[in-house]
Amino acid sequence: MHNKDLLWIIDDDPILVYGIKKMLLSEFPEMNIETFPNGQEAIDAFHEALSGKQSLPDLLLLDLNMPIMDGWQFLEELLPLRPAKRLKIDILTSSIDPADMQRFDRIQKKIYHQLSYQNKPMTRESLVRMIAGTQ
Amino acid sequence: MLHSAQQDIISYTIRQLPNPTLFLNKNLEVVYASDSLIEAFDLKKRKVVGQSILDLAPNAPKQWLEVLGNCLNGVQGQKGIDRFIGSNREVFWFEYINNPWYDADENIIGILIQVTDITERVNIELEHEKTQLLLKSKSEIARIGSWEYDAINDKLHWSEMTRLIHEVPEDFEPDIAKAVEFYKEGYSRNTISLAVHKAIENGKPWIEKLQLITAKGNEVWVLAAGKPLYKNGQYIGLLGTFQDITQHSLSEQKTKESERLLRTVVDSLPLNVYIKDLESRKILVNRSEMEYLGAKNAEEVLGKTDEEFMSDTSARMSREEDLRILTHGKKFLNQETIAVSKDGTHTHFLTSKIPLRDAEDEIYGLLGISLDITELKQKEQELRELIDVTSQQNRQLLNFAHIVSHNLRSHASNFSMLLDLMDHETDPQELSRIESLLNDASENLMETLENLNEVVTINSGQPADSVKTVKLSQALSRVRSSLEGLIKDSGAQIIDAIDPGMTVQGVPAYIESILTNLLSNAIKYKHPDRQPVIRVIGSRENGKTVLSVADNGQGINLERYGEKLFGMYKTFHQHPDARGIGLYITKNQVEAMNAQIMACSEVGEGTTFKIYFSA
Repeated sequence: MHNKDLLWIIDDDPILVYGIKKMLLSEFPEMNIETFPNGQEAIDAFHEALSGKQSLPDLLLLDLNMPIMDGWQFLEELLPLRPAKRLKIDILTSSIDPADMQRFDRIQKKIYHQLSYQNKPMTRESLVRMIAGTQ
Repeated sequence: MLHSAQQDIISYTIRQLPNPTLFLNKNLEVVYASDSLIEAFDLKKRKVVGQSILDLAPNAPKQWLEVLGNCLNGVQGQKGIDRFIGSNREVFWFEYINNPWYDADENIIGILIQVTDITERVNIELEHEKTQLLLKSKSEIARIGSWEYDAINDKLHWSEMTRLIHEVPEDFEPDIAKAVEFYKEGYSRNTISLAVHKAIENGKPWIEKLQLITAKGNEVWVLAAGKPLYKNGQYIGLLGTFQDITQHSLSEQKTKESERLLRTVVDSLPLNVYIKDLESRKILVNRSEMEYLGAKNAEEVLGKTDEEFMSDTSARMSREEDLRILTHGKKFLNQETIAVSKDGTHTHFLTSKIPLRDAEDEIYGLLGISLDITELKQKEQELRELIDVTSQQNRQLLNFAHIVSHNLRSHASNFSMLLDLMDHETDPQELSRIESLLNDASENLMETLENLNEVVTINSGQPADSVKTVKLSQALSRVRSSLEGLIKDSGAQIIDAIDPGMTVQGVPAYIESILTNLLSNAIKYKHPDRQPVIRVIGSRENGKTVLSVADNGQGINLERYGEKLFGMYKTFHQHPDARGIGLYITKNQVEAMNAQIMACSEVGEGTTFKIYFSA
């Protein structure tokens, strides 16, 4: 991942979005960050990117609990879509429910993209490590 | 020789003699015979006079012939007894008195035989002998003695057995005072004294079971009986019997004692014990069984069957059990049974029934033992219910724990993140931005805590008295007036289609909260192109009261969101007020009242929520 790469944050919590953006931009000032308040808006944007109207992101930070369309539903929508570029998707959640962990395992086996699971809270260090890991 | 005319007179006179009489000459030939003799010996058809006695009585004993010979030699008054069997096979007994027959010169000219019919006397003597014999053996076997008191001579006579019972020496001379003193001091002596006194005074007989101390100092039980004797209305003494019943009494006492012990044990058992005969009639019941049947004493129960105390079904089932035991001799052990009494009371029993057999091994009834386990069963049921409730609560709690953890962690992570940002920030404008976000985070946390608190309150249950009969139309009109502003502003039309009398059992505050939530949701998520019309309907379905709220709003894609509709912090609409807590709380309130909530919806058409009340 490079400074100028595209990052999508899909999360309905404005505070978290603000924080992540702020921390990342202080480390990677050139980074291109787009935010979506729920899965529906993100999947709409994804379809537009596939049709070439905008570019696909390099990394997605995905929240699970969201209104309209939650993180799981977003991933289900993503399953049939196979763009040339494989994306890296990081699930951000504060859930410690084992049921969520099992669901993650199931969908990870099926999905075309690189999927990982990250528990909140996000720290500057964990964010930097995550971005670095995608390089 | 006598003159013949004179002889005729003599002959005539002799014939008239009332006692059978016979005159024999020296050759033992009949000279005269009285008519009574001829009749007695059945000789009417025979010639008697002139016949030899040896011909008339061919079976006469030799001894008699000797007696007759002696008579001719002057021996007087010799008696003999002989049996004579009459023509009708009757047995007669006769006594002969043989005397020499003298003429005027004191010369023996023959024998005079007088005969007396002693049949009756002999019979009485025989009978007496027999009775004596019988009495003696009876007295020996039964140890019954007798005694007689002659009041006139003040003499007391004891029979052999009576002496034996008293264990007195041969030369002991009893009298009334000594006899009374043999009785044990106290009850026995007092009783006998009083009995004797009463017998003498009032002629009252007595029979008493008393204790006696024998001459050898042994303690014995006797059955003493006595009565006064009278002659010409004058008291002359007492007569009585005396029976040694020590053996009998001791074993009787032992039997009584063990019977009493058994009765005490059976009555004190915390079990219903009963014995039934072949017709299933109760022939013994213990106290527990009596109490169970509501009887004050055994007589109310004995001889009756279960039919008189139990419901028809219970009685029939019990009789069927009894028959299996009574006909096949099979035991019925530790079976759980439910008895329903006539008044409908259900009692759980752990019942055993065992056949009872007589000495010939024939079944004559059954012994039933039932342990009332109603309370135990109730406890078991309560425990089971408690486990159900607990496990459900546990599930809810776990679910709730995840919700709490998730929500609190979100807020906590926001705080730590914002504080971290603050540390690194120097731009005052950004700092004030972070500060205001911290403020938001704090408010969010507070709101979350309040929501969680509300959910906890609902789920921790409410006292039973908060459940009341709620009139649905009244609840609706109260909610309508509290939402008046919202309704007016949105131009919503609310149609009350509840039967005015319809009620449910519920918590009034919850029902109003539920209606408030559903109505405000229906208005909040109205269809953008039309004014909201909300129908609130009360109906009955399968015995349940159903409260429905049907709107014509946006509708929800239930295929997509159905499972999350009532989840916490789930929102489905792009609406600024959507907080995802209302339906979660509604569901919790509904379930706290043992009711269920369901939704059906069509996107663009509207949504209907239905609440099923169990009562």
